[in-house]
Formats: sequence, C-alpha cells, structure tokens
Amino acid sequence: MTRFPLPAGAVRALVPFAAAALLAGCAGNQVENVAGTPTVYEDPETTGRVGGVGIESQDVVAMTDEMMRDMLRNRMLAGRDVPPRVIIDNAYLDNESSSVINTNQLTDRLRIELNRAANGRMVFVSRESADMVQQERDAKRDGVVDSGTIRETAAQAGADYRLRGRITSLDAVDRDSQTQSRYTQVTFEMVDLELGTIVWSGLYEMRKAAQDNVLYR
Amino acid sequence: MRSIPNVAAVVTALLLVVGCQGLPSDSERLTERTAPVEYNSVVFTDYNLQRTWSDGLLGEGGRYRLSVERHGQRRTETGTTEVFAVIRNHTDADYTLEARTHFVDRDGVPTDADAVWKRFTASANGLTAYREYSTSDQPLQYRVEVREVR
Repeated sequence: MTRFPLPAGAVRALVPFAAAALLAGCAGNQVENVAGTPTVYEDPETTGRVGGVGIESQDVVAMTDEMMRDMLRNRMLAGRDVPPRVIIDNAYLDNESSSVINTNQLTDRLRIELNRAANGRMVFVSRESADMVQQERDAKRDGVVDSGTIRETAAQAGADYRLRGRITSLDAVDRDSQTQSRYTQVTFEMVDLELGTIVWSGLYEMRKAAQDNVLYR
Repeated sequence: MRSIPNVAAVVTALLLVVGCQGLPSDSERLTERTAPVEYNSVVFTDYNLQRTWSDGLLGEGGRYRLSVERHGQRRTETGTTEVFAVIRNHTDADYTLEARTHFVDRDGVPTDADAVWKRFTASANGLTAYREYSTSDQPLQYRVEVREVR
C-alpha cells in the first residue's frame, strides 16, 4: 500500500483553517434539530404509544371536526335567516360495532365545537336537560323562586332537527400473523323533526390493522 | 505515482455519490426549516416527502416523493371557505398522509376553529384531493400542512 504522508509544514498550515471551520460551525443563527423532553402527555389528535384497531382519540377528534365543518357549509343548517334549533346528543346514536366507545364522546365534542363555531347560526336545544329545566320552571310558577332576569316562555324550546347516527364495523383476523383488521363506519344524519326528512348526512370511515394486543375500556 | 490518478478518481466518485444523495430529511440546512411562513400555500412539514436546499455539495438541490399539483379556495353556499389541494404521488407506493389547514384573517390572525389533522391516502403514482372547510364565514387565508402518518 502506497502512502503519501503530508509534510509537517503543511499540517501546521492546516490547523488554523480547521480551527476557523470549527468556530464557523458554532457561530450564527442555526436550527438546533433535537427532540424535547419526553412527557406523559400525548397529542389527542395523533396515535399515541398505545394504538389498536378501535376508535381512538385521534378518530374522535378528526371525525367530529369533519362533521362540524361539513354542517356549517350546509345551507339548511347554517344559512337560514332564522337559526334552526337542533338537538345533538347520543340518544339516537347506536354503537353496533365491535369497538368499545362511549358515544357521548362523539356527540359531546360535536355539539360543543359546533356551538362555539356556529356563533348563533344554529341554536342548540338540550333535551337531556329537559327535566332540570322543567323543575326550575315549575318552581318559578309555583312561587317557590322568583322569575329570574330573562323572559318567560309558554314552554321549553321545540327542535327543528335532531342528530341520529350509527357505528358499524367489519373485523378480520389473519390466523398466521394474528394481525387484526377492522373497518369502521360512522354515519351521522340530521333529521327534520316534523317531516322526517334528512337534511344533512355525514360519513366517516376508516380501516386499521394492528398486531398489538390493545384492550379498550 | 500511477496510483494518484486512481485515488483522485475514487475521491471524485465518492463526492459525486454523496452529492447525488443530497441532504437527508433531518438536515439542519434544509430551506424549508427557516423559510418564511406564507399564506394561501401548501407545505410539506414532513421533509421526507419533499425538501430543498441551496448550499449542498453541488449547490442547490431537492428531493421529492410527493408534490402539490394545484391548490386554491372558494366560498361555500353559507359563506365559509373551502380549501383544496391536489397532491401527486410520484412513487410506486401508497402513502397514508394527514393534512390540516390553518385559517387566518387578512391580518394573519388565527380566527377559525383549531386546525385538526385529517387522514387520507395518496395512491401510488396517482392524484388525490384534500379538502377542508372553515367554520367562519369571513374571508380567510389558509396554510395547509401535509405529513405522513406515523
């Protein structure tokens, strides 16, 4: 093997250049591309450290956000001169899938986000609060309490539209690899409470496959 | 002395190979890392999907797996803003992507609901469309961010 040793003078001449290059590397306004401190909090919009084939936080967030934005571009729901009264709760949201999920997570997030974003373009009727409201109304009319500071009405608000929906799924398992796959379909429909017609529909679907042995509770 | 041209050839070949590989997606010298934020635009925040640089071994360069064919906005019936982006996949593999849209008003102030990642698939060597709607009925600007689902 032939070698070409550098003369000592040449090495000495290179030292200042090397030092200058090192300093130049440290100076200036540069991106420091390193990860931050690990934390136990995770972004609910993304798959965390535990991920399976069921409906997870990122799906709840993405699904409700998509439905909310879609409703707000529907003329019958968000383009009326007189804002329609709507009921959004889980009374008619059926989970027929193999995923374990509290359907209140879907309807609560959808109602709250929609209520904030609609900003008066829709009026939300809380049917699940009907008993609570009636109790207070009765107390006012019986003279147990005074009439409050806002108007009295003949009755509680009737609704124009109500949300209904269904969650269904289709499961498959690869016996060799034990990989599980699940196709999940979630439907939402806004039903006219006088005519029974459907004024808006939304569909969210996904298919996930995983080998992880995730237990949903 | 005959080995000197051989060494030079090997070094040149190595430099060329290194130069052809370009800068990796975690390089700190990528143009996108410090590019000014522009609205009415679509950007890849995952530099594996697309990246450019101006100070590589052979000067400017870039690598891309996906690109944005076109994007734009229009008003819906209720006055909200619809944003669309057509993504082209230049690879032989399907890519599962997620994108989100930041809506800001004319002054650059975020006024809409928080941007949420929406998942979709870009088919191999095909086009796919991403759509998002604002919740506000005010005129808005947008910035779409695209990354690969991990």
